[in-house]
Amino acid sequence: MGPTDLLQLLDRVQPRRVRAIENLLRGRRTVSTLYWGQRYQLLPLLNLAKQLDRGALDAAAQQVVHQGLATWDINQERLVLTPAGLSKQRADHYFVPQTADCWPTIDLIAVRQRILLAVQVASQFSHQAGHYLPLTTDMATRQFVRHWFHQVKNDQLGPQVLTALMTSLDKLDPVVATVMTAQFTGYQQAGQTLGQLALAYQRTEWEIQLMQFEGLAQIMGDAKEPTNPFNSLLQPLWQTPVSRSAQITLNTVKQGQTLAQIAGERRVKVSTVREHLLEAAIMLPLADFPYDRLLSPAARSQFKAVVSGPVDDWQYTGLPEALQRQYEFFYFRLYAIWVGKRGALHD
Amino acid sequence: MHYMTNEALTTSLQRVFGYRKFRPGQQAALEALEAGQDSLAILPTGAGKTLIYQLYGYRHAGCTVIVSPLLSLMADQVDRMRLTGFRCSAALTSQTSYADRQTILTQLDQLQFLFLSPEMLAQPKMLAQIKQLTISLLVVDEAHCIVQWGPDFRPEYLLLGAIKEKLGNPLTLMLTATAGKATRQEIAKQLRSRPTVVTESVNRANIFLDVDRVNDEGEKKARLQTLVGQLRGPGVVYFSSKQLATDTAEWLQATAGVKAAAYHAGLSGEDRFKIQQQFMSGEIDLICATSAFGMGIDKNDIRYVIHYHLPGDLESYAQEIGRAGRDGQPSVAILLYAPGDEQLPLALGQANRPDEDEIARYYAQPTKFDDTEPTVHLLAFYRQHGISQAAVQELFVKRERERNRALAGMVAYAREDHCLRQRWLAAFDEQAPEHSEGCCSPQNQPLAIDRLGLERQTPTQENGGPVDWQTQLARLF
Ligand SMILES: [Zn+2]
Repeated sequence: MGPTDLLQLLDRVQPRRVRAIENLLRGRRTVSTLYWGQRYQLLPLLNLAKQLDRGALDAAAQQVVHQGLATWDINQERLVLTPAGLSKQRADHYFVPQTADCWPTIDLIAVRQRILLAVQVASQFSHQAGHYLPLTTDMATRQFVRHWFHQVKNDQLGPQVLTALMTSLDKLDPVVATVMTAQFTGYQQAGQTLGQLALAYQRTEWEIQLMQFEGLAQIMGDAKEPTNPFNSLLQPLWQTPVSRSAQITLNTVKQGQTLAQIAGERRVKVSTVREHLLEAAIMLPLADFPYDRLLSPAARSQFKAVVSGPVDDWQYTGLPEALQRQYEFFYFRLYAIWVGKRGALHD
Repeated sequence: MHYMTNEALTTSLQRVFGYRKFRPGQQAALEALEAGQDSLAILPTGAGKTLIYQLYGYRHAGCTVIVSPLLSLMADQVDRMRLTGFRCSAALTSQTSYADRQTILTQLDQLQFLFLSPEMLAQPKMLAQIKQLTISLLVVDEAHCIVQWGPDFRPEYLLLGAIKEKLGNPLTLMLTATAGKATRQEIAKQLRSRPTVVTESVNRANIFLDVDRVNDEGEKKARLQTLVGQLRGPGVVYFSSKQLATDTAEWLQATAGVKAAAYHAGLSGEDRFKIQQQFMSGEIDLICATSAFGMGIDKNDIRYVIHYHLPGDLESYAQEIGRAGRDGQPSVAILLYAPGDEQLPLALGQANRPDEDEIARYYAQPTKFDDTEPTVHLLAFYRQHGISQAAVQELFVKRERERNRALAGMVAYAREDHCLRQRWLAAFDEQAPEHSEGCCSPQNQPLAIDRLGLERQTPTQENGGPVDWQTQLARLF
């Protein structure tokens, strides 16, 4: 990821932690990463660049600062755009995905693997080409696609897949449709690499990837239709944005158990239960989380009386000591999530 | 499944591959194996070395275990095995995902061909599992890596001899494209084997040899650009760094009117697949590769191979130029050489080699070092295998001497004034045919591309230019 890409993830007003953005992209699913991801409204990017190394954004961060597009806070942890950075951010005409809101509910990386292989298989099949090298994928994908192929195989598979793809891609920006098509491997088409597409369309490789995620999300959405040839291939790749264990914890809380009871029953620490709940609060809409049960009106007004300024600047250690003794960090963070989400609601 | 042990080799060949005749060397290697003798087959790139163990594996019950050095390429090899019809094939490397590894391990006893990296095979747990198999044949692919990489790069190679014994000394096939007498002896010694040596001449008469002497880096770059613009493709240019391969591919594409792509270990599996396919279909006419990675390129009509950097020894060089002209048609191997180019392989050799001081400090306090560092990892390996400080020191001194000698051979080739082929083949204890016009042009003679018939033809008209996505999509189905 280069400076152009990082620039798009920064803000003129809100200082943003480079490490948190990096962890988000790498799919480090800690409460802290998720929290900041939500605060920056970057949660759709969760897990989309797993291959990044630790520190992979450092060079880009140095460059945007060096070019005068952003400045560090005193700790060199958070970046905020300069006026020049803001105008460059706008002038770049960077690709803005329209489907990003649903990305956290899709295993996009797996969708990509399956679609690419399925398109290759269907393409070779419709040209009656028996012998060809299949795309390099993991065994699970290969087995799943093979299974799918035997299920849907018929004389009309080629035309069916073509129609489905045409319909989906036609709903997208023509550049996205072009990039999606050019990456496919199939009969007499090797397919273009990310680097080649980036060069051809004068976009960054990350932008090309965003375009691909956009296209895949569209195909995924359309494949909900039972007659869509990709239906059985893709249906299992819908996911809840909340991890399974956090979901279970949340359901038990909704049934009225206390955190200590849940911890005892599930044989986990109370702190783990709290992490589950924070994850759920971050990932779910305001109405889907039982704030009323976990955050008493008294706690809310006590916090309200002492915090001030932007939510991002609130510090637990800045609370009066008495309040810290009364409420653990968990309640403070939950309050911040609640306030943040309500704020976003009122914007 | 039933096995064809009593069937004539040529009958099996016909049945499995549909060929009527073996290529030189294949039959001799197979006959040695059929007679129960280990075999060291030194056959040029493209001579069909894989066929030897494929056919042996087909004729005998049990599993053929192939030890291969190239992690990223093993998956490709397995795909090709499957394409040839050997469906029960799998690869286990450090790059295999956890899930895939579990799947393979549960199906281990059903496998006919298993590819492993030496590092994987050296793990005690893995070795114990492999020991449970009936191994019909142990194959050490790219066996020269034992000598080239073993001591100071991938020490696990040095365990192969002991591993072979632990596996009960299965019948062993060692494969390599180039190995002089010293290398052969070292391979046999390391693998504790007395193999039947099957060898074909390293010489490739259809590859014209050329050394282009330039004065400096700038001139070298310009020369590369000119050559790539004049030569008929497809071609491969070798670099010793990923970054330079990537940058130069882009630069040549923008300035030399060729379609170029970089090909190296840093690419994702998907990108590697696509670039390989583009190269095969002629969409790309030039690949800029790093040395080790060139081994993955599988194309018969490569017309030129250019070396931008000086390889560390003539064996590597022979391996790499061997990619050219596998179809037997005229081709050319060009080495770009600037005075001082030998500094880079020297530095690369030294980078991974601890000096006497470091060795002493490590042995004094081994726990104080971070063994994710390559040098420390190497020393830790030797120490854990009970090798004394003195022995390790001696090993590295000896290794340095060998490297320097090998590099001197390469430099002598670059500076040769009379006949490159003679110089090259002498390193493999072979006599070259009499020098002639079609043989080579050493550094003091210009390369005449037109006389070789390798000049670039005027590019054919692009077929219709770019099409819209709807048309492109429709063509797929
Ligand atoms: Zn000559």
